[in-house]
Amino acid sequence: MIRNTPKKRALFVSAVIAAGAMALSTMPAQAASQPGITSTEIKLGITSPLSGKVAAVYGKIPGAMKAYFSHVNDNGGVYGRKINLISKDDAYVPTLAVKATNDLIMKDKVFAIVGALGTANHLAALRSANLSGRGVPDLFVNTGFSGFADKAKYKTTFAVLPSYVMEAKIMAKYIDDNYKGKKVALIVQDDDFGLDAVAGFATAGLKPEVTIKFPTGADSLAAAQGWITGKLKPANIDIAIIFATTTTSAAVLGAAAGLQYRPTVGWMLGSVGGDSNTLRAGGVPLAILNGAIGTSFAPDPSDATDEYVNFFKGIYAKYVPGSTFDLTVLQGMNSAMLTVQALRAAGKNPTRDGLIKAIETKGAKFASAGFTPLKYSPSSHVGYSGYWIGKYSATGSLQPIDGKRVLYTTDSGSGPVVSATISRAPLPTNGLPTNS
Amino acid sequence: MRKRLLLFIALGWVLLLIGDRVDELRVYQGASIAVYVIAIGSIILLTGYSGQISLGHGALMAFGGYVAALCVANASLPLWFAFVMAALVTGIFGGILGFAAARLSGPYLAGTTLALAVGLPSLANQFSILGGEQGIYLDPGLPPASLGESFSQYKWFFWITTLAALITMFWLANILQSKYGRTWRALRSNDVAAQLCGVHTGRQKVLAFSLSSGLAGLAGALLVLTISTVSPSAFPLSLSFALVTGAVVSGIYDLKGVMLGAVILVIIPEVADSVASRFGDSLKITSTLPGLLVSALLILAVLFTPNGPGEKLHHLRHKRKTHSG
Amino acid sequence: MYKFISSLLIGLSLGAIYSLMSISLVLVWRSTRVVNFAQAGQAIVSTYIAYEVVNRTGSFWLAFFVAILAGALLCAIVDRYFMRPLFKRVTSGPIVAIAPVVATLGLLGVLRAVVGFVWGVELKPIAAPVSLDGYSLGSEVLPFAPYNALVIVVVAVVLIALSLLFQKTNLGLSLRASAYSPEIARLSGIRVNEIRTLGWAIAGAAGAIAGILATPTSYLSPNSLDILLVFGFAAAVIGGLESMVGAVVGGLVLGLGVTFVSNYVSTSLIFPTAFVFLIVILLVRPSGIVSGKRSRRA
Repeated sequence: MIRNTPKKRALFVSAVIAAGAMALSTMPAQAASQPGITSTEIKLGITSPLSGKVAAVYGKIPGAMKAYFSHVNDNGGVYGRKINLISKDDAYVPTLAVKATNDLIMKDKVFAIVGALGTANHLAALRSANLSGRGVPDLFVNTGFSGFADKAKYKTTFAVLPSYVMEAKIMAKYIDDNYKGKKVALIVQDDDFGLDAVAGFATAGLKPEVTIKFPTGADSLAAAQGWITGKLKPANIDIAIIFATTTTSAAVLGAAAGLQYRPTVGWMLGSVGGDSNTLRAGGVPLAILNGAIGTSFAPDPSDATDEYVNFFKGIYAKYVPGSTFDLTVLQGMNSAMLTVQALRAAGKNPTRDGLIKAIETKGAKFASAGFTPLKYSPSSHVGYSGYWIGKYSATGSLQPIDGKRVLYTTDSGSGPVVSATISRAPLPTNGLPTNS
Repeated sequence: MRKRLLLFIALGWVLLLIGDRVDELRVYQGASIAVYVIAIGSIILLTGYSGQISLGHGALMAFGGYVAALCVANASLPLWFAFVMAALVTGIFGGILGFAAARLSGPYLAGTTLALAVGLPSLANQFSILGGEQGIYLDPGLPPASLGESFSQYKWFFWITTLAALITMFWLANILQSKYGRTWRALRSNDVAAQLCGVHTGRQKVLAFSLSSGLAGLAGALLVLTISTVSPSAFPLSLSFALVTGAVVSGIYDLKGVMLGAVILVIIPEVADSVASRFGDSLKITSTLPGLLVSALLILAVLFTPNGPGEKLHHLRHKRKTHSG
Repeated sequence: MYKFISSLLIGLSLGAIYSLMSISLVLVWRSTRVVNFAQAGQAIVSTYIAYEVVNRTGSFWLAFFVAILAGALLCAIVDRYFMRPLFKRVTSGPIVAIAPVVATLGLLGVLRAVVGFVWGVELKPIAAPVSLDGYSLGSEVLPFAPYNALVIVVVAVVLIALSLLFQKTNLGLSLRASAYSPEIARLSGIRVNEIRTLGWAIAGAAGAIAGILATPTSYLSPNSLDILLVFGFAAAVIGGLESMVGAVVGGLVLGLGVTFVSNYVSTSLIFPTAFVFLIVILLVRPSGIVSGKRSRRA
C-alpha cells in the first residue's frame, strides 16, 4: 500500500482510544464489608426490558417496584435505610442482560439483584456473571421457567412465580375434574414458554386434539383467523387453551369475535396472557371473554374487594400517575413487598448470606398478594406453588367460580396436583411489613 | 508484511498490559470490543471491498455461535477447535447463501439478508438439539491453572477474544492487499470492467461472502463465549443493524477504523444508561434512547464522514499540508 | 372446503395490506432507486397522528385523510431535507452503493424513537370504522368482514388512481420520465428534483394508508409496523420492484402463500416461508413475477 504510515499511526491511535476507553472510570473499591449497604441506604438492582418489543408489557416492572419502595422509604425505610433500586435495560437480549448484570454487581455494587426478567437473558446473566459463585442474592426472578428454582445449580437464586409447568398441570387437572373426555386445543408460542406448557400437559396425561405452535411475533389477527377456521373449527374443539402472551390472546379473541366463534365449552387462558386490563387497553371486546376459564396465583388486578389490590393500586397511582395498573404491575409491587420482608428478616446488619438464609427459613411466611403458598425452605427455592382457577366476568375480570376460589398446588416435576385452601396472610398495616 | 506482524505483536502486548491493569468490568468490555472488531471486520470485507451489503450478519453470528456451542456441549471438543469449526461451517453456509446472493445486488441483497435475520432465529426453536429459547450452555471451562489463582474468567475471555481479533485483523489486512483484495476492489468500483479483465464476478462475490460469513461465525462463537450461552434472542435484528452502524462509523472500507466502531458499539448502551438515569428513568426515555443513539449516529456518520473518519483525517492533513507548503 | 375458502379470504386480506406497503416501496424505488426502509417509521408516525385524531374527534375517516396528508408531507420532507442533501454529500467511495439503505435504516430508528418518546410504548388501539364481524356463508361465518372488504376496495382504488395518474396525466409522464432518465427529463424542462419529491410524497401517502388500515385488526406500538415492512418489501421484490401491478401481485402471492402454509403445513413456519419464497423467486425469476426489463444485478 502507498499509505503505509497513516495506517500505522491510525492503528496506534485506535489502540490508545481503546486503552483510554477501558481505563476510564475505573471504580475505587468500596470500603464497606457488605456491598451496597451503608448506614442510610440499601442498593438493589434489576435488569428488565425497558426498550425493544416487549418493553410495552414488561417495562413497567421496575417502576412498579420503585413505587412500593418509595412508599416504604417515605415511611422510614428498612431499619432506617432507604431502598435504592437501580434499574438497567437489557432490551430482552442476553448479551445486554449480561452486561447490565455485570454493571450492577461490579460498578454499582448492589447488595442484591431483585426481579430480573426473562428466561434466556437471565440464564445468560447467571452463567456469565456467575451470581452464584460471587454469592450475589438473586431474588424473585420474573419468569415462569422452573429451572431458576434449581438450588443445586443457582444457589443464590429464588424463583417467585409459579412455573409454566405447574400451570399446565393444574389446567389439565381442572379439565380432567370438570370436563373429562372433552376435545382440547392448545395454542402456544413456539419457544420454551410454550414448550414448558406442552410438557406440563403431557406430564398430566392430557392429550390435546390440536396443538398450534406459532413463532414469536406471528400472532396476528390473520394468523389467528387461520388457526380458528383451519384447525379449531374443523376439529370441533370443546376447550381451547391460549397459553401465550396478551398480544396472542388479543389476536385470537379478536378473530373469534369476528367469526362469532366459541369452543363448545369455552376458552381457557393462561395467567400470562389473561390479564384483562392489558387486553382491554389493546382493544379486545371483553364480552368475548365472558365465561372463559382463567388461572392466576394472585387476585385479579381489577378486583376491588381485595385488600392487596386496593393498596397496591393506590400506591401505584400516587407514585406513577397516569399508568395503567395491570397484572404485571401487581406482580412487581408484590415482589417488592417480599423483598422488604426479606431484608427485614435478614436483620439490622444484613449480609448477603444472611439474606439468603432469611428467605430460606422465614420466606414461606411472608405476607403477599399470592393465594398459593410460597415454598421457600433451606432445601427449596421455589416460590408460589400453584394457581387458583376462576371464570372471567362480562367486564373481563377473573372471578372465583360460584363465589369459591378453587385452589391447586403442585410442583414442576411429576408430582401430583392437589386441591388446597387459601392461606394468605392479611395485608400488613398500611402495607408496611413489621416482620423480623 | 513482517513489519505488520511485528506491529500486531506489539499491539497485542499493549493490550495484554492494559488487561492486567483494569478492573474486571473493563476487561469484560474489552472482550466485547474484540468480538465487535471481528464482526465489523467481516462487514468491511463484504461491503467495503466487494460492494455487497448484508443486513443479516447477526444471523450468521448466531449460526457460528450455535456451531461452537454444539461442538463444546455435545461433542466435548476443545474450545479453540469449536471456534475454528464455527468459522469454517459458517463460511461454508455463507458460501451456499452467497451463491444465491452473488446474483443479487443492492436492495435485493439487503432485503434477502434482512429476511434471513428475521427468519433464522425463529428456526432455532424448531430443533430440540438447539435448546429452544433457553439455548445451549457453552461451558467455557476454567482458565488454565498455570495463569494463577487470581486470573479471572473474564480476563480469560479477554485473552481469547483479543487474540482472535488480532489474528483476524492481521489476516484481513493481508488478504485485502493480496490479489483477492485488488480484485474485489476492482469489482466494487466497476464490475463490467473487471469482468472484461477476466475476473469471474460471481465466483469472487461468493468467495467474499463466504469469507465474511466465516468471520461473522467466529465473532458469533466468541460472543457466545462471553455470555456462556447461545440462544436465539442473543442475535436480534438490532445486532445486525448495529454492526452496519459500526462499519459505517469505522469507515466502510477502512480496517484501521474498526476499533473505533467497536468501541462505540460498546459505549452506546453506557451512554444511553447514564443519560436515561439523569432524566429520572422515565420509561419513555429509557425505551427510546438506545435506538435513538444508534440511529442518529448512523445518520450523522453517513452524512458527515461517509467514508469513515480515516478519510476525513486524511483530507484534513492533506489540506494542512497544502496550506503550509 | 370451508377451510380452503377461509384460507383464501384471509390470504387475500393480508395480501391487500402487504400490497399497500409494497406499492409505497416501489414508488420510491422507481423515482430515486432507494429502498426506503424508513417507510415503516413514516407510516408509524402518520398512524399515531391518526390515533390522536380518532381520539379527539372520534372520526376514523377524518383521521384517515389526516394520516394520508401527514404521510405525504413527512415523506416529501424526508426526500427534500434528508435524501437530497445525502445524495449531494455522498458522492464517492464504496459507501455510495449502501448509503441510501443505511440512511433510511437510521431514519427508521430515529422516527421510532420519536414516536416512543411522544406516545410511549404501551399498546394503543384504533377502532375499525366498519364491522369486524365476518360475513356468513350458509351456517358458517367467514373470516372476511366488511372491514376486509373495505381494505380491498381501498387497495383497488389506490392502484387504479395511481395507474391513471402515471399513464394519463402530464404529471405522471414527468414522474415516469424523471425516474427513467433524469438527465433527459431535465433537458426537456422537467424540474426533476421537485418531481421526485412529489414521487416520494405519493409513496408516503400509500404507506400511511397501509399503516392506518393495518392497525384496527392489530394494535399500535412503535414497532407494530416492522413486520409489515419486511413482508411489504418481500412482496415488492417478488413483484419485481418496478411495477405497481407487480407490487400488488407480489403482496397477494405472499399473503396467500403464508396463509396456506400456515393453515395446511405448519403454523410455525411463517417467517421461514417468506424467506424461502423470496429466495426461490429471486433464483428462478430474478426479475420478479411481473417482469421488468432491468436485471437485478444493478
